[in-house]
Amino acid sequence: MTALLEAKDIGVRFGGLDALSGISFSIAERSLACIIGPNGAGKSTFLNVLTGTQKPTAGSVLFRGNPISGLPLHRIARAGIARKFQIPSVFPSMSVADNLDIARRGTGSAPALEGDVIELIGLSAKREVKAGELPHGEKQWLEIGMAIATGPSLLLLDEPTAGMTPQETQATARLIHRLQARLAIIAVEHDISFVRALDADTLVLHQGRFFRRGPFAEIEADPAVRDVYLGRR
Amino acid sequence: MSNRTWFVTFATGILLLALLPNVVDGYMLGVMRDALIFGLFAASLDFFWGRTGILCFGHACFFGLGGYVMAIVSMMPDLAQQTLFGLVAAVAASALLAAVIGYFMFFGGVRGSYFTIVTLALAVIAQQVAVSWSDVTGGDTGLLGVPPLAFGALDLSGDIASYAAVAVILVVCLLGLRLVSVGPWGKVLTAIGDNEMRAAALGYNAAQRLTLTFTLSAAIAGLAGALYVAMAGLVAPDLIGLLLSTEVVVWVAIGGRGTLIGPVVGAVLVQRAQQEISSYNPSLWPLIIGCIFVLIVFLLPDGILSIAQRLRGVLPGRTR
Repeated sequence: MTALLEAKDIGVRFGGLDALSGISFSIAERSLACIIGPNGAGKSTFLNVLTGTQKPTAGSVLFRGNPISGLPLHRIARAGIARKFQIPSVFPSMSVADNLDIARRGTGSAPALEGDVIELIGLSAKREVKAGELPHGEKQWLEIGMAIATGPSLLLLDEPTAGMTPQETQATARLIHRLQARLAIIAVEHDISFVRALDADTLVLHQGRFFRRGPFAEIEADPAVRDVYLGRR
Repeated sequence: MSNRTWFVTFATGILLLALLPNVVDGYMLGVMRDALIFGLFAASLDFFWGRTGILCFGHACFFGLGGYVMAIVSMMPDLAQQTLFGLVAAVAASALLAAVIGYFMFFGGVRGSYFTIVTLALAVIAQQVAVSWSDVTGGDTGLLGVPPLAFGALDLSGDIASYAAVAVILVVCLLGLRLVSVGPWGKVLTAIGDNEMRAAALGYNAAQRLTLTFTLSAAIAGLAGALYVAMAGLVAPDLIGLLLSTEVVVWVAIGGRGTLIGPVVGAVLVQRAQQEISSYNPSLWPLIIGCIFVLIVFLLPDGILSIAQRLRGVLPGRTR
């Protein structure tokens, strides 16, 4: 299968610290990958490299075969990579509808997508509510909706369920499964119940390297992975 | 401010502007005309600061540059249509300067307080250039004898004609800026002001948008400067320096940032207050104006225009 995105030998060095050490990764169209790992493993740094907010000190990132390393964030977004940030980043003074409209216009995606997205994220009844007044979980969904409204081929989710209730977490997992029919998704997450619900190709990032990769059931059963999470390794 | 409230306030303002020539004498009309020009200048700053949240502390650079260019061009001997060429050159020069500054600052990643500090330094530099480059700018004295506004046979030098010209330009500019502010462009600016990285992740080139908005804001400041110089008949270094740059920030803050009309009201009220208070006490007026400014910032952080909204909230039968 042809890779939609391919990261080759990515290295990021902050002073004397290797945040990422020569990692390689690829993902195909309409597939789902989940990256897990303890705090400081380099998960957000890896997403930053993919979206251009962190220039790698080594390696390259190809999207549809074209190099995108070092491109500014807005050009990467226009190329078809959308991102949901770790902290909900909606525009609080604007309504839900305006947030989605402004997201759609950024890449010039079809107006019809906006109505479709608002149904998908379950906020049809709150079209005119200001985004700043939404509960935390709905802000997270709105931000996912904004990312989808740009019409991407690849969606990057940085801890999409942070701060959500267990019910909201499960609803988010169902949303992501529905989205998988349209686009490729890379989710970075701490919450193991969410990762279990996704039941996707899972990569364990540890000390700047991919430590394990495989189906979630295998990863969950791996004692070495447990040691990583418990800090025994 | 909702669209309805804005347009009601705007219509009320137009009515007051139309009635003013009937209730004041020629001298006072001239005073109000100059205050309205400063109001236009304040609105130009508010268009940028109010939408993006980035404060330019050297906006008088563009006002003063427009004034100097207007003076130089309109005083050229044997030039036909002096006013027209002067205004076009003034607007173009201010816009060009802002485009160059904006390009290097915004594409270079300068934002927030760093931008404010750099623009503050620019105001100091601009004033120094105006004083030192005396062959062109007239030095400390400035340039005297700038001709009044005239388009061919249409002479706008009279009290009522010059007032009407300024009032019409102000109304048109305010309406245009409002339409831009509430339209898709303005929403993107608000988005960039709220969270620039999020806006960029949605595909918006924030640096480019900020540069273009800054350029438009400076062009209007340059237009205001050109109008002021044509009305006053002279241009001097105090129109390009730090003091005026500070004053315009005060007018916007007092009137209500992000409302466009508020800064005009702020500019007119502060100008009139300065004149009235200084006539009673020529030495203490800056202190009194300063105290009023501090009080307004504490009591009405959203500016004078927010009084109407506050009153509406407490009136019986109304809900917030």
